[in-house]
Amino acid sequence: MTAAAAIGRAVRGRRDTGGRAGPLKAAERRAGILFSLPVILLTGAFLFLPILQTFYYSLTTWDGITASWVGLDNYRQLFSDPVFWRVLLNNAFLLASIPFAILIPLVVAFLLHQHVPGWRFFRSVYFLPTAISWVVIGMVALRVFAAEGILNTVLRILGLGAIRTDMLTNEYTAMLAVAITFIWSVFGTNTIIFITGMATLDRDFYEAARVDGAGSWAVFRYITIPLLMRFIQFAFILTVITGFTALFSLIFVMTSGGPGYGTTTLEFFVYQKAFAQGVFGYAAAIGAVLFAIVFAISLVQRRLLRSRED
Amino acid sequence: MYRLRRRVTRGAMFGILCLVAVVMLFPFLFMGLMSFRSYDQYLTGSGFSLDSWAGLLRAIPVVQQLVNSTVVTLAAVFIILAVSTMGGYAFAKLRFPGRTVILLAIIGGMMVPLQSIIIPEFVNVAQLGLINKYPGAVLVYAALGAPFATFLMTTYFRGVPTELVEASLIDGASYAQTFARVMVPLATPALVTVAVLQFIQIWDDLLIGLLFLQVPDVRTITVGLATLQSSHIIDVPVLMAGSLVSALPAVIVYLIFQRYLIAGLTMGMGK
Repeated sequence: MTAAAAIGRAVRGRRDTGGRAGPLKAAERRAGILFSLPVILLTGAFLFLPILQTFYYSLTTWDGITASWVGLDNYRQLFSDPVFWRVLLNNAFLLASIPFAILIPLVVAFLLHQHVPGWRFFRSVYFLPTAISWVVIGMVALRVFAAEGILNTVLRILGLGAIRTDMLTNEYTAMLAVAITFIWSVFGTNTIIFITGMATLDRDFYEAARVDGAGSWAVFRYITIPLLMRFIQFAFILTVITGFTALFSLIFVMTSGGPGYGTTTLEFFVYQKAFAQGVFGYAAAIGAVLFAIVFAISLVQRRLLRSRED
Repeated sequence: MYRLRRRVTRGAMFGILCLVAVVMLFPFLFMGLMSFRSYDQYLTGSGFSLDSWAGLLRAIPVVQQLVNSTVVTLAAVFIILAVSTMGGYAFAKLRFPGRTVILLAIIGGMMVPLQSIIIPEFVNVAQLGLINKYPGAVLVYAALGAPFATFLMTTYFRGVPTELVEASLIDGASYAQTFARVMVPLATPALVTVAVLQFIQIWDDLLIGLLFLQVPDVRTITVGLATLQSSHIIDVPVLMAGSLVSALPAVIVYLIFQRYLIAGLTMGMGK
C-alpha cells in the first residue's frame, strides 16, 4: 500500500542551513552514505535491478536461461493479440467498479461520523477485513457466489429465488463477482480514510448549514464531499493501484483467470504467460506495460495534487 | 414531531450500520461455523464436529507452515525496520551527495507493481540458489516493503527537531551513537506502525511464497491454503478451517495494534 500524496512534500523536505565546520561536514557525509547504504543495496538488488531486467528481457525471447534480441517483436505481438485486449477490458471493468468502491464507503463514513451509538465498534469491524489475506477472502467469496452458494440462499430467503445466480461459470458475471469482492475488500480502508478526513473538518460548517436549514443530504452533497476532495483523491488512487496490482491472489483462488479469459487481468496475464507457459520474454513485455500504466496513473495523481496545492 | 423524525433517522442509520457490520463480519462467522462441521454436516446444515480440523492436519503440514510463515515474516519485518530506520535517519537528518535523488528513487519504488519485476526476480533468486530457502523469500519481501517503510521513517524523522541531533553531537556522540541513543528511542511509535503494516502484508502474501517457497515443508500457511484450494479439494469445511488458521495471526495482530495501523494510513497521506 502506498501513499503518493505526500511524496512531493517529503522529497522537497526542509533544507536546513546549519553552518557546520569542514571536517564535521565530511563526517556527516560519511555517516549519511553509510546509513543509507543498506536500503540502497537491498532495493537496488531486489527491486531496481529486476525492473531494468524486465525492460531488457521484454526485448528478447527469453526462457529463463537464454535470451536472444528481438527488438520490439514482443510488443508487436502483444498489441495484435486479441487476448491482450480482452485482458485490458477486464482491467477497465475493474476501473469502472471503483466509483462504487468510493461512494459506498463515503456514505457509510458519513453515517459513522454522526456518532451513532457504537460507532467505534462499527469502525473496528469495518476495518477488520484489511487484516485477512486475499486468499482467505477468495475462499469465502467462492462459497458466496457458487451456484449452491450463500448469495442464492439469501435471495431465496428474501423471496427472490427467481433470480438464482451462477456467476462464476459465465465470463462476464464472473468478472462482476470478482469486482464485487474487490469492492468489499477495499471498503474498510476507504471508510477509514474518509472518517479520518471528516474528523479534520470544521464542525462550524455543519452548524452553519443546519442553521440555514440544510438537510442531511444537502450537507453531505454540498459540504462534506467538496471539503473531503483531497481524501477522496487519495482513496481513489489507492484503490486504482490496488485494482491493478493486488488482485492476483484473489483471482488465483476465485477463478484462476477463467472462465476463458473472463477474469484474467494484466497482472494475472503476466503470471500465466511466465509461469504456466514459460514465455518469459513475452511475459516481461506485459509486465512492462503494467508498469507503464501504473506509472502513468501515479504521474497524473502527482500533477493533480500539485495543482491543488498551488 | 422533529424529535420523532430525528429518532427514526438515527434508528435507520443504526440499522444500516448493523447491516454493513454483518456483511463485513460474514467471512469470519462463516469460517468459524463451517470449520466445526464435518462434510456431511456441512451439506445438511447443522451439527458439530472436529473432523475438518483433523482433515486439515492430514492435508497440509499446518504447524510447520505456521512456523514457516512466522519465521519468514518476522525476519523480513526485522530487515525492513533496520534498513528503513537507518535510511530514514540519513535522508531526514544527514546531508550527503545525492540524497534527494536517491530518496526520490526509493519512494518511486513503492509504485513498482510486483508483477512487473517478478520474472527476473525469480530467475535471479534461482541463480543464487535460494529457491525453497527462507532467505530468498525474506529478501524479496524485505525489498518490496522497504520503500514505503523508508518513506514513513523519513517523514517521521523530519518531524524530530534537528536541535536534538546537534545537541547530541556537541556532547561528543558520534553519528551512530546519536542514531542509537536519540533517534531510535524517539521513533518507537513509527517503528510499531511499520512493523504491523508489514507483518500483515507479508503474512497475507501469496505470489512470492508460491514462487520462492515451492515445497510443502517450507511454504507459508497462506500459500499452503491456496494450494489446498487449487488441488481441487472440495471439502468446504476443511478449506474453512485452513482459512481460519491462516487468517487468525494477522487478525490478532490487527486487534492489538489497530490504532497503529490507522496511524500508518494517515501518515501515508502525509498528514
